[in-house]
Amino acid sequence: MVKGVVTFTCLIVVLMGSTALAGAPTDAIKETTDKIIHIVTDPGLKGAEKSEKKARMIREAVDERFDWVEMTRRALARHWKDRTDEEKKTIIKLFSDLLEQTYLEKVEGYSGEKVLYEGEQVDGKYGVVSVKIVTRKDTEIPVKYRVKNEGDGWRVYDISITGVSLINNYRKQFNSIITRSSYEELVEKLKAKVGSR
Amino acid sequence: MKKFDLELTVGIFMILGIVCLGYLSIKLGRMEIFTPEGYEVQAVFSNGGGIKSGSSVVIAGVQVGRVKAVTLDDYQARVIMQLPSNLKIQEDAIASIKTKGLIGEKYVEITPGGTEEVISPGGKIRDTQPAVDLEGLMSSYVFGKL
Repeated sequence: MVKGVVTFTCLIVVLMGSTALAGAPTDAIKETTDKIIHIVTDPGLKGAEKSEKKARMIREAVDERFDWVEMTRRALARHWKDRTDEEKKTIIKLFSDLLEQTYLEKVEGYSGEKVLYEGEQVDGKYGVVSVKIVTRKDTEIPVKYRVKNEGDGWRVYDISITGVSLINNYRKQFNSIITRSSYEELVEKLKAKVGSR
Repeated sequence: MKKFDLELTVGIFMILGIVCLGYLSIKLGRMEIFTPEGYEVQAVFSNGGGIKSGSSVVIAGVQVGRVKAVTLDDYQARVIMQLPSNLKIQEDAIASIKTKGLIGEKYVEITPGGTEEVISPGGKIRDTQPAVDLEGLMSSYVFGKL
């Protein structure tokens, strides 16, 4: 019986291809991804003069899905609780700007890559959504969205691309900058990076 | 009487030798007869990269524990680690499988998190980063270039 159900589910996954499996975390990711793809492929938003509007729309779509507070908290890790509320506010803004700037360029270069939803795992208020991005050259890039639901829907707190975690990457860099020099130095570095683009 | 003493001494030496041998093989084989102090924490990786029981668990380059067992769970690697009881691992810690040097042995690195919530004994590190598949990276680079 169980085997039958598993086979059936597998069949459905194979048959439906890119269609999402029924499940809240995947639906949430799919909704945002579709929204962004729609924005970047919209012919009405082509051209240099529209790029600012396009960037703003992408930012709005990303903002409602990404939990910047949680991401910054996780990236700062044990240095988070030493910060004042004011400092927290500043670094959340800087960190989200940095991530958006870094990834906006990549999203704007979208050229018909396919996004396949490969399933999800839910464990209480945590979930993982596995996605495969297939480029036009048929290279497959596995992406994992780690999501958390605090009652206001599934929101992303970490992304792993080919197994490398974004938060782990920044956590190590932040930690090394703070322990080597100071928290102020980290803020300066982030400001310089965000401002330089 | 004298003969008896000689036999006794030889016997004691023999027993001592066997105990030493036993101790050595347990130490070198990294076996544990007594349940070691501390607690267990699990982590599931999509690719274990050849990690095995006895591999080091490291925080900030300092060895803090060892891998106790590695099993296959839903085609993923479930790694059970033994950690000392005075070491607290936060709920948002990240466990990643790393390689010593370029082709050295594998070990688990834990980057500590920042929450107040601590993983209880037998608990699970949720966020993991699998071993980097160098060959896979190279092939995707090579074929991606075509």
